[in-house]
Amino acid sequence: MKFGRLACLASLLAMTTSSSALAQGADYSRFGIDQDVPGACSYEAIDAKDYSGRQLNIITHAVPVIGEPTDLHATQFAELTGAKVNVVHVPFGDLFQRILIPFQTGQNAYDVLFYGSLWIGDLNPFLAPVPEAYQNVSGMQDVTRNYIDVAKWGDTMVQYPVDGDRHYLKYRSDIFSNAEAQARYKDATGKDLSVPETWEDYNEIARVFSGWDWDGDGNANYGSAEVTKRDDLMFSAFISRAAPYARNPNVKGGFFFDLETMEPQVNNPGFVKGLELFVDASKDWAPGGASWGLGDEIFAFGGGQTLMSYSWDDAFVQAQQEDSAIRNHVAAAPLPGARDVWNRKTGKWDHFDEPSRAPYITWGWTSAVSNRSTSQDMAFDYLCFFSNEANTQHDLQVGRFGVNPYRKAHFDPSLWTDKMGWDAALTDTYVKTLAGMDESQNRVFDLRVPGVSQFMTSLATGVAAALAGQQTPQDALDGVAAEWKSIVERIGVDNVRDAYARVVALEDNL
Amino acid sequence: MYGLTRYKLFFLLPGLIVLLAIILFPLVFTIRVSFSGWDAMTPGLGWIGGNNYGRLLADGRFWQSLGRLGMIASTAVALEYALGFALALLVWRQIRFRRVVRVLFLIPMMTTPVVMAVIWRTIFHESLGPVNDFVALFGIPPVQWLTSPEWATFVVILVDVWQWTPFMFLLLLAGLLSLPREPLLAAAIDGAGPIRAFLNVTFPAMAPISVGAIIIRLIEASKIMETVYVVTSGGPGTSTETSSYYIFIRGLRDFQIGYAAALSITYLVIMIVLLTIIAKVLTKTLVKAEG
Amino acid sequence: MRAFYLLLKVAAILVWSAFVIAPFLWALTTSFKTANGVTGGPTYIPWVDYQPSLAAWQGLFGSGAGSIDIVGPFISSVMVTLSASLVSLVLGTLAAYGLSRFSYKAGPVGNSDLTFFFVSQRIMPPVVLAIPFFLMLGWLGLLDTVLGLIIVYVALLLPIAVWVMVDFFNTIPKELDETAMIDGCTPIEAFWRVILPNAVPGLVVAGIFCIIFGWNDFFFAFTLTFTQTQLLPVAIVSLNSSVTPWWSLSASALISVTPLIVVAFLVERYLDKGSIGGRK
Repeated sequence: MKFGRLACLASLLAMTTSSSALAQGADYSRFGIDQDVPGACSYEAIDAKDYSGRQLNIITHAVPVIGEPTDLHATQFAELTGAKVNVVHVPFGDLFQRILIPFQTGQNAYDVLFYGSLWIGDLNPFLAPVPEAYQNVSGMQDVTRNYIDVAKWGDTMVQYPVDGDRHYLKYRSDIFSNAEAQARYKDATGKDLSVPETWEDYNEIARVFSGWDWDGDGNANYGSAEVTKRDDLMFSAFISRAAPYARNPNVKGGFFFDLETMEPQVNNPGFVKGLELFVDASKDWAPGGASWGLGDEIFAFGGGQTLMSYSWDDAFVQAQQEDSAIRNHVAAAPLPGARDVWNRKTGKWDHFDEPSRAPYITWGWTSAVSNRSTSQDMAFDYLCFFSNEANTQHDLQVGRFGVNPYRKAHFDPSLWTDKMGWDAALTDTYVKTLAGMDESQNRVFDLRVPGVSQFMTSLATGVAAALAGQQTPQDALDGVAAEWKSIVERIGVDNVRDAYARVVALEDNL
Repeated sequence: MYGLTRYKLFFLLPGLIVLLAIILFPLVFTIRVSFSGWDAMTPGLGWIGGNNYGRLLADGRFWQSLGRLGMIASTAVALEYALGFALALLVWRQIRFRRVVRVLFLIPMMTTPVVMAVIWRTIFHESLGPVNDFVALFGIPPVQWLTSPEWATFVVILVDVWQWTPFMFLLLLAGLLSLPREPLLAAAIDGAGPIRAFLNVTFPAMAPISVGAIIIRLIEASKIMETVYVVTSGGPGTSTETSSYYIFIRGLRDFQIGYAAALSITYLVIMIVLLTIIAKVLTKTLVKAEG
Repeated sequence: MRAFYLLLKVAAILVWSAFVIAPFLWALTTSFKTANGVTGGPTYIPWVDYQPSLAAWQGLFGSGAGSIDIVGPFISSVMVTLSASLVSLVLGTLAAYGLSRFSYKAGPVGNSDLTFFFVSQRIMPPVVLAIPFFLMLGWLGLLDTVLGLIIVYVALLLPIAVWVMVDFFNTIPKELDETAMIDGCTPIEAFWRVILPNAVPGLVVAGIFCIIFGWNDFFFAFTLTFTQTQLLPVAIVSLNSSVTPWWSLSASALISVTPLIVVAFLVERYLDKGSIGGRK
């Protein structure tokens, strides 16, 4: 019973294997790349391999984000090596169970997995370590520190970096530099309009620029677009907002938990402050803004409806589409920080004159090879090919693919200015913001422990209750902390601590 | 008499055996899982006694979601029944474009709920969707379709009514079409008006089908999950979170399989008891009216 | 008065039709949009309100990467849905006739309990059934196969067939079978020759419910397959990325409903034929 994509690939294969033999050492631009970049996983190197008669099964995200490049490179891989490659696309909400159920019941369903890197705490027992040889390829050597860290479980690299994800601030540079807007802001607040440095600033700016038509298109505009739909990644937005208040650069040993006691920190005054500001911001959201998923946030900022937003790259990329009305009118900046940061050791707020930032290296797409796979050689070759320099260069330029910078080479401004036609000043903010996150000593990572989904749904439920006015921020987070305690008990304190220690090691730059 | 028994079994057994063969293992397995701590970390049937059930009794979110589900499901089904019956009566007799109209009325049921839920979400999008644009024609400010508890509940019900009124419509239309004609003719001869003929003849005759249709729709409506996930994801807060959605979150989101099994078994028992009562009551009120 | 009734009737039909069609019209116009046609607020008329694009449709039917392949999943879907519906309908109709006409007794269990047992199979939230079904099919070696899905779908559809048919058989007067049996028919002959022809509307309804529920189920189709067997809803939902492309989702919604509209026309016809048979 082999239908569908398989049949389609098979016929493609039949058509092209013969021709690829002729094309040895030649030009691979027919694959849509500029030029092949020599290396262990280049087109030429992969072309030299022969996997005919073998099958590779891949599970990936829905089309287009990550799913489309998976498909594209699978087709190419099949053409070059003669392997049969089967790809299945799954919406984000179902991806975890689709991967985990076969693992737990002993089925060898997929060789290659694309998934959210925060699940590493649950999936690591099933993943094959990335062999030394692949860790030494040029592409891997160039991956920035953050994404090497994300890929590692302890000292072992079990995930194969294919994407860089992080939260950062996006704003409309044309409005921020507009004299009229500046005057209006000054009138309203007595302050000069500048890119927000704290979340208090962010909320204040959002308030002034909400509910009126500041871009002159006849529709009302708003200050901020945020991901707020409860079970749709809202936890990430909240963590971005709470991080600078709760992540104290002077306190080591855990952000979500105190590693020593495994006491949840999620209801400490820092987190509560973050939630209070979130609730405060909700008054000025656009209609429906309290139920926005990631897609809505992308449309809102990328479509020019809001002045600012913060989350993954997508909204920025949307704004920079060729036909976008606000192309080159946007800019990137680090997430706002906090002047007063909770110190859980002293039980006091520490004051910082220069706002303290806590970049959130939020989950993003990653890939891995199943340790049950009988084709691990081919699977790693596929991932290496997927992320070879030529392919990455190509994928970065297709916004909808959702592949974002994760190598040092990607921070080369000329890639964005020359290839993509981005404005130089804008590119500068983008590259500096992204590269800057790699240098931070105050990073926050996802809670990469077993049962991460339980912790995050619990958190999202509490935050949603506070946003909906069903509970005060303190009560809501107290509830979350109580629930976290019982989750830790169920999963086992030691299990959670073991895993969390690895996260803390990253955060404390050990 | 022996012969009759043989025939009795000939009719019933094949279906019963096939169903049991397929469903028995999953059912027993689920009951067993509900006494285990199966989750993402520790798969398998490790016995933890009644812990899951104890936790469930104290789980306010589950019980609230049951109440919410009862409200949403019964409102939706009541509306669907009333509308479906009305529509069936409208196109029962010969009217122009009858075929087109009937088919049109059936179509919503044929759509894939998950996909339509996404479309509905775009329709009720408060700033990019057409509904708020439409109400603005009347000078009404943007309605909080998805961000106020009342409207969000309304939207969830509306989507269900849109999708499943055709189910009632089809069952009741088929029922009307297979009604024997004589009683109606007799009523007409007696000089009964259309309303009295309906109340005295048509409605009682439709009672058994009505009960069946309502029960089945109650069962299906109670499983509402994908619509909630896509349209409101249970929000704002927890105001549209139904039990089936809650079980989905616990089971597949959190991957607390053991706990989700306990929730499901509890849900199953509650539903069976409730539906038995509802079926009895409905049969009494609707069917007895006949005699 | 008559004219007033007629007007009311027509008005009601029109209002409901508008309600039914509205989402499809919205999906239709959305399917020709790009991001620019969406982000500026609602737009309706191509060329006037927004610049139409065929990108979404090309994505569905195109051959390049990023398009979903409709044909294979379509065939699998048809096979699974039709086979499971047929099996359910045959077994369900037999069981329903038995339950409608004979009385079964096994201890405290009677007819209505048996009927309810059938239908109660649909109460269980599918979420937790995924794992046992997965294990079961794994032992049978039927994961990721059409046959495996058919087996699971029979369990889902049989209850519907039984429930609908019991109701319909109950509306057919018992005198009909009794007369037939007095004429010397065995119960099977009576069922086949006399009752079944009278139950055509019921059969049609049960059949279409099976087809619809089978066609649109996507949970099990999702959980019990890997890469080889894909059903249509699964293929279509694979467009539902975390970044929902409104346009391609709209296009796929329209495509997935099309085959069932054909079914609707067929059904409608047999409903009428059935009614003629039923009236005798």
